[in-house]
Amino acid sequence: MTSVLRLERISKSFGPYRVLKSVDLVVDAGEIHGLVGENGSGKTTLLNIIMGHPAIQESGGYSGDILLDGRRVEMKSPQDAIQAGLGMVHQEFALLPGLTAAQNIKLGRENLHPFARRLLGESLAYVDRARDRAEAGAILRRLGIELDTSIKCGNLAVNLKQYVELAREIGRSGLRVLILDEPTAALDREDAHRLMPLIQKLACQGIGIIFVSHRLEEVLEICHRITVLRDGEVVADLDQGDGDLNLDAVARAMIGRSVVEMKRKGNSPVGTVFMKFQDFAVDMPGEMIRNFSLEISQGEILGVAGLSGHGKLALGYGLMGAYPTRGRVLVDDRELDNTCSSKVLAKDICFLPDERRCSGLLLDRSLVENIVFTAAQHKHKFLRLHLGPLSMINWKSSREYARRSVEWFGIRCRDVYQQVGQLSGGNQQKVCLARAVALEPRVLVVAEPTRGVDIGAREAIFEALLRINQERGTTIICVSSDLADLKQICDRIVVMYEGEVFAELSSHSQDVEFSLALGGKRLADNAAS
Amino acid sequence: MKRINLAPVSFLALFFGGLFFSKMSVIFVLNEVITRFIRDAVLVLALVLPIIAGMGINFAIVVGAMCAQAGILFIIIAQINGIAGFVSAAFLGIGFSAAVGYLVGRCLNRVKGKEMIATIVIGMLANGVYQLVFLVGYGTVIPAHNREILLSTGKGVRSMVDLADYRNILDRIWVVELGDVTIPVFMVLLVLAFCSVVAYFVNTRIGQQIKAVGQDTDTAEVLGIDVNRIRITVMILSLAIACLGQMIYLQNIGMFSVYTAHGNSDIISAAAILAGGATIKEARVRHVILGVFLFHSLFIVSPQAGQHIFGNAALGEYFRSFVAYATITVALILNLGTRTVPPMQTKVKDQ
Repeated sequence: MTSVLRLERISKSFGPYRVLKSVDLVVDAGEIHGLVGENGSGKTTLLNIIMGHPAIQESGGYSGDILLDGRRVEMKSPQDAIQAGLGMVHQEFALLPGLTAAQNIKLGRENLHPFARRLLGESLAYVDRARDRAEAGAILRRLGIELDTSIKCGNLAVNLKQYVELAREIGRSGLRVLILDEPTAALDREDAHRLMPLIQKLACQGIGIIFVSHRLEEVLEICHRITVLRDGEVVADLDQGDGDLNLDAVARAMIGRSVVEMKRKGNSPVGTVFMKFQDFAVDMPGEMIRNFSLEISQGEILGVAGLSGHGKLALGYGLMGAYPTRGRVLVDDRELDNTCSSKVLAKDICFLPDERRCSGLLLDRSLVENIVFTAAQHKHKFLRLHLGPLSMINWKSSREYARRSVEWFGIRCRDVYQQVGQLSGGNQQKVCLARAVALEPRVLVVAEPTRGVDIGAREAIFEALLRINQERGTTIICVSSDLADLKQICDRIVVMYEGEVFAELSSHSQDVEFSLALGGKRLADNAAS
Repeated sequence: MKRINLAPVSFLALFFGGLFFSKMSVIFVLNEVITRFIRDAVLVLALVLPIIAGMGINFAIVVGAMCAQAGILFIIIAQINGIAGFVSAAFLGIGFSAAVGYLVGRCLNRVKGKEMIATIVIGMLANGVYQLVFLVGYGTVIPAHNREILLSTGKGVRSMVDLADYRNILDRIWVVELGDVTIPVFMVLLVLAFCSVVAYFVNTRIGQQIKAVGQDTDTAEVLGIDVNRIRITVMILSLAIACLGQMIYLQNIGMFSVYTAHGNSDIISAAAILAGGATIKEARVRHVILGVFLFHSLFIVSPQAGQHIFGNAALGEYFRSFVAYATITVALILNLGTRTVPPMQTKVKDQ
């Protein structure tokens, strides 16, 4: 096989910090090449260099060579990269919310009315919208999606955005290399599974694919070769043919040690029932909860599972009052006023949403400020001179707390004064969690806590969740599409189906029971039929 | 569900209220509105592209207006009369607009996200340069060929210049009388032609790129669009359209107060397009047409209405500027409020 993309001695520094040190990478035509590494190991920077991201040029460019089909190319801007036949599916989506799905997919290569094209040239010819819509629909159909392509992208659910993003890239002719940056992060297991054969089909057409994912099982399943990055260096180049390619080997290469799966030390100290959902309904479009009735005991860890669209995500948003709700939530037999999020926070109930971008980190502020912000604002912690709104932040205790959090959660940063915006995505996720924990909430609702984080970080996050549960008796409601996550830490798991609590299972229930429940069936039904 | 656009509806209500109190005849108002439509619409049209490109309301269209005036002044100085003079003034003005538009575009690329305030300040600065050129430059650096417009001191252009040669040069073509209503058909068609060109332009590949840039500059950049180049193009086009708009405006008025004619073109145009239902993030050509009609009909009746309600003729002018600024303020407040669209989900089809 011939190599289509070859990177030689790629190095990159941001100011005095070297984030990539002489990285080599070869992708053959028709190869699926896995790229793995911890959060902050330099994956995103490497991809940005390949795609000519403006941030790279603005921070002084890179050194080393990029060879495409054996020819040396320089990626000065995204135009260069796209022209050269590189495509990228972005983890955080590069979709324009105000344009329709069809406009997004066909952007830059719209169909043109032929007459106008001959008369006025390509850029001034009238765009043939009907054909754009039809072709965009056809590309999506190839991905197994039936979608009205005249819907604006801003109105699409996360998983559909992922497909539109993918459709935009594979719809291009002359595509040589496709970079998939966490293409399954926004998908649940089922959707992610559906994606794999599609990627393999693309590779069969001779496209070189760089596949970046934190779900190592996926990487192992479809990648021919895997390059492992650690601290900006290639530490391993594993080949599927070598035979010794297994999860443990990859994980060890990634973090430099074996991963010890967090085990629970017995059940949580479960107390009395203190929180009750009564006919709770949330009108969140696409994730509607019709009826959620459940009693929650002090100090338990409750898992909420469900396929996307069945309402599991709406629980946290509804609790904080982001969408209209019906029914009641009782805390200590008093009705919770969820018209405004600060009132819910005052009741020591804290929610960590699934979309990182909505989580409200102050990106140009330091870790310290971010971690103590909510606690200082709402709980009057980390203050000195208690003067109401004029109180001053106690930087000393804040700094110490932030350092402890960095250690606890394993946040990769220079020091606690680094701007949060400079951290990698997974580390930002950990900062969010640290901020929520600083509130010392009584109830912590987390949605998709491990989405987009590496296995080392995943264990660190679980450890922290279990620790606050054990030490402080915090009740945790964990919403996740990852069953393995839930089974690892939860006392009991409720499965949502079509907006209602369908089943309540324990972490020891069989996998088959879970998968049936997710599809709205019970073991008994199945046996009967 | 379609959101009802508050701005045009409230303007219509205000207009009917104003019409009632002003006791003006509908025919008179209609004639006035048609005159103002052909006079102002192209200037307003200049605002559409920058809004689509995410640069907000381009208050720098005053600069385009100044370019038109500079073009006319140079042609008057060169003493080219009639339609030839008018056309060459237009070409000269467009040339100026292209050059200045490029510079303004470069400036705005350095202040992404704060374009509106930047264009206001650029407009003020350009005003100073314009005054310097014609108040000091004429008769010193620029040879005073045409002594008619020279101030008695021997340098500087007089503040009032008669445009008798170009007055209604376009308006006169093909005028139809429908009862008491006068319709300058050619001008209406010309304005509509300008509108169609802009509407067409938005639906080309460049138009798509402009939309993409307007949505999110970072994403557009990553998708391989040369954001800075698109924004400069938009600025040049906007100023060129504004320049032609001001040419139409001046030939309609027929008198030319050299130092103030461009004065309120930005504010009035901004108010008109906002009244038509545009926001600082979204504008369509129909907002221009609707907005010019709605805003100017209110503009016509409001002084009279004010006078009849409060019995004071001096209130007339006050009411006009009140209406213009109130429109902009209210529209900005209405528009800048965040409006989140809840995500919608379409089920993934099972295979």
